[in-house]
Amino acid sequence: MFSKDNKLEKFKEAETIIGASIKVKGNFNGQGDIVIEGFLEGSLKTEANVFIGEKARVNANVEASEALINGEISGNIKIKKYLAIGKTAKIMGDVQCGEISIERGASITGQILVSAENLKLSENKKNRPEEQA
Amino acid sequence: MNAYIYDDFLNKSRYRRALNRVEIRLTDLGLNGKIIRLGAIKNVKDAVQAEIKNGIKNIIAVGNNETANKVISAMISNKAYGFFQKDILFSIIPIGNNNSIAASFGIHKEEEACNILLARRIKQIDIGIAGNNIFLNKAELTSDNARININDEYSLELTRKTKVQIINLNDSPSVIYGERVDPYDNKLNLIINNKTPEATFITSDNIKISGSGEIILDESVAIPLPAEIGIIQEKINIIVGKDRSFN
Repeated sequence: MFSKDNKLEKFKEAETIIGASIKVKGNFNGQGDIVIEGFLEGSLKTEANVFIGEKARVNANVEASEALINGEISGNIKIKKYLAIGKTAKIMGDVQCGEISIERGASITGQILVSAENLKLSENKKNRPEEQA
Repeated sequence: MNAYIYDDFLNKSRYRRALNRVEIRLTDLGLNGKIIRLGAIKNVKDAVQAEIKNGIKNIIAVGNNETANKVISAMISNKAYGFFQKDILFSIIPIGNNNSIAASFGIHKEEEACNILLARRIKQIDIGIAGNNIFLNKAELTSDNARININDEYSLELTRKTKVQIINLNDSPSVIYGERVDPYDNKLNLIINNKTPEATFITSDNIKISGSGEIILDESVAIPLPAEIGIIQEKINIIVGKDRSFN
């Protein structure tokens, strides 16, 4: 989903896009990809992918399948598969994911747990319907 | 059998020639029907209800967005809008300005509209509702203090004066993410601001807007805030042209 230069490849196809001039408060639950360029306070949860833009500020726990973070997050992050943290990212909270990449310059204050179990669990879930078929 | 509902602004002499052209074309195509002039009647709903009871098959609004809005409201708010009435077809013959609904149906000129009526290309689309008023294309406002609640789950606050559009059927190629608006999905698309990275795009069927000001429906009907906006259960069968803005 994410290209080498940390930009969302299919930016225009995200189910929800929160622009830079918007403040969001509450519990944000989605099924599709979510792009945050503005301010979010509450919780953010999707079964798909999350992109946090460079100028975005998120005061929320974040749960997703994959994520690319370039902005500021105060909250815990739980990513089933791949988490990419860009050089402009600033994270204050614990991070849990299946795979991770961190660019030089990123700031993380919290514990990081990278566990292949997370990845296996999500892959098993994905394969299960095919096995049954 | 056809009923043509003429809006009262068509009484002005400057629209006489356009109406003559339409009437001649409809006669040539064998599409004549009953003409109902809104200027002469007080209650559109009663007039439409009477025609539905009389077994009318096609109701055609002759005028602009406001005409279309009035006629569709009368059709679907009708108590008689039951099982068999839902087969009634709606279309527009656009005359005058402010005809973005007709444009999104692929109907651009009055004589072209007559040919489209004959071709009977039918689509069934969603209808939006804001308060007690329906809309086909969009509801829009410009505000710096509106608070927008989505599905009672989260709310959006505008941080500066911004244009907010809630779109059911996109009528403009300049709308960002407009290609993703689907008039069949039972959902509306909220688009705030119209350029990246400022633009916001959210899909929902329950949007509540509070604050000061008013929302304009289909560029013709104004309703005051606060307002609850969604999709009604009823669909409407419309006769559309090839160049419509949706599939």
